[in-house]
Amino acid sequence: MAILELRDVTSGYGEVQILWGVTLALQDGSMTSLVGANGAGKTTLLRTIMGVNRPWQGQIIFEGEDVSKLPPHAKAARGLVLVPEGRQLFSHMTVLENLAMGATPKRSRAEYNRNLELVFEMFPRLKDRQNQKAGTMSGGEQQMLAVARGLMASPKVLMIDELSLGLAPFLVLQLFESLKKLRETGITVLLVEQNVRMALAVTDYAYVLAEGRVEIQGPSREVAHNPDVQKAYLGL
Amino acid sequence: MDAILRSLIDGLLLGFVYGIAAMGLTLIWGVMNVINLSHGSLISLGMFSLYFLFTGLGIHPYLAVVITAILGLLLGIVIYAIAVHRIINAPHLSTLLATYSVNMIILGIGTAILSTSPYNVPFDLGSIKVATSVVPTTRLIAAIVAMLVAGGLYLFLQYSRLGRYIRAVTDNREAAEIVGIPSAQILAFSFGLGTMLAAISGGLIATFFPFTILAGGAYELKSFVIGVLGGLGNPVGSLFGGLILGAIEGLVPLAMPTTWTPVLEFVLFVLILLVRPTGLFGGSE
Repeated sequence: MAILELRDVTSGYGEVQILWGVTLALQDGSMTSLVGANGAGKTTLLRTIMGVNRPWQGQIIFEGEDVSKLPPHAKAARGLVLVPEGRQLFSHMTVLENLAMGATPKRSRAEYNRNLELVFEMFPRLKDRQNQKAGTMSGGEQQMLAVARGLMASPKVLMIDELSLGLAPFLVLQLFESLKKLRETGITVLLVEQNVRMALAVTDYAYVLAEGRVEIQGPSREVAHNPDVQKAYLGL
Repeated sequence: MDAILRSLIDGLLLGFVYGIAAMGLTLIWGVMNVINLSHGSLISLGMFSLYFLFTGLGIHPYLAVVITAILGLLLGIVIYAIAVHRIINAPHLSTLLATYSVNMIILGIGTAILSTSPYNVPFDLGSIKVATSVVPTTRLIAAIVAMLVAGGLYLFLQYSRLGRYIRAVTDNREAAEIVGIPSAQILAFSFGLGTMLAAISGGLIATFFPFTILAGGAYELKSFVIGVLGGLGNPVGSLFGGLILGAIEGLVPLAMPTTWTPVLEFVLFVLILLVRPTGLFGGSE
């Protein structure tokens, strides 16, 4: 069953249209990757799903309900959570305060302690730095905090924009492993990732976005063997 | 020496009250980058609120300050919803014009109903000895109330859930919205808090100074000087800024005619802007 569905969604900034009718579906408990060249509209798509950018047309269906017109905070309350590009942390607040802000949705508050334990286990670095101001940490640590903050919300659907940006390769591997573990807990993940090879290796299903449209879609393994994808994104 | 100390104490007590007025201005600036040009008229409304609650309904002035605070909070939320929210993302000129319009509306209606003649709250608690000098008790109580309000605000922002939401919205409004904080409501509430601080300071000033509907304007200007001294967007810095300004106002008349006080204040204002534009105690850029 699809937990999140987009039907013919268009959006953009001001007069500039970026998305030209995107239709996609995330199966409950699956991991889906969204790949494409710079400027293909990946970030805009995530922002539109979240409601930071208003969809111009089309529908966004979350758990069978039309949420197209809801503001971001109402979507977060329902369990649709975005880890935004460029991290977007509360830089003047401490690591712990950032994590506490991640647990804003009412449904996540009862699980605060368990979630905190989980993210500290995933990112021991954050535990060591919990009283440090987020803005004073390194880029990699900030990226960890951004993901951890998303997890604090007890997400049903976790959308991550550019997971590996600014992270050391071994950390990226570690993060992907953690994400796989998360899948077992039933979280649905939508991953925007510049490392196409790795994204296709860990996810079940993939969408390739080009010029604001879904160009190719299918099980990740098949997409990885698609000659166009190999030529354009995998350098084969 | 005695005269200096007396003037200093006088000025510092007043400085606490200036401090919370400025806190209101700087809180709103910090949270939403809006310069609230209706700040002065809201201080005036605080004065008249206290006046009418006391002379009209016979409510004790310090209870009237509490009621004035609540009315200020509500009025601020209404002003935000009507005049500010629709242009919150527009360039600064729009928010300046909008809050200036609110200012003109309040002053226009206020002048029509209350005229511009001075009012006075007939309330006196005698005098009390502070260190070596004797000060009106109302001024000492006003300073204590202002201190409590400032301390309370700090604790509220630092430790309460709502206070943390305000800081999160101040820090990064889009991120706050993404993690589930209803940012529009937080902005409205913050504007209410800023207005509440203006109303409290007006109410406290009315317990010892006569005032007109236009009186708040002078305190608005002081709030700007203090805001810049303490760092705009830094509410705690405002309290120190208020004390500095109060001390200047207390001491200047000893050396030169009182009319020089605003001159010195604004010289200081310009100097700080030139040398240290983030304020003596740091603030948001």
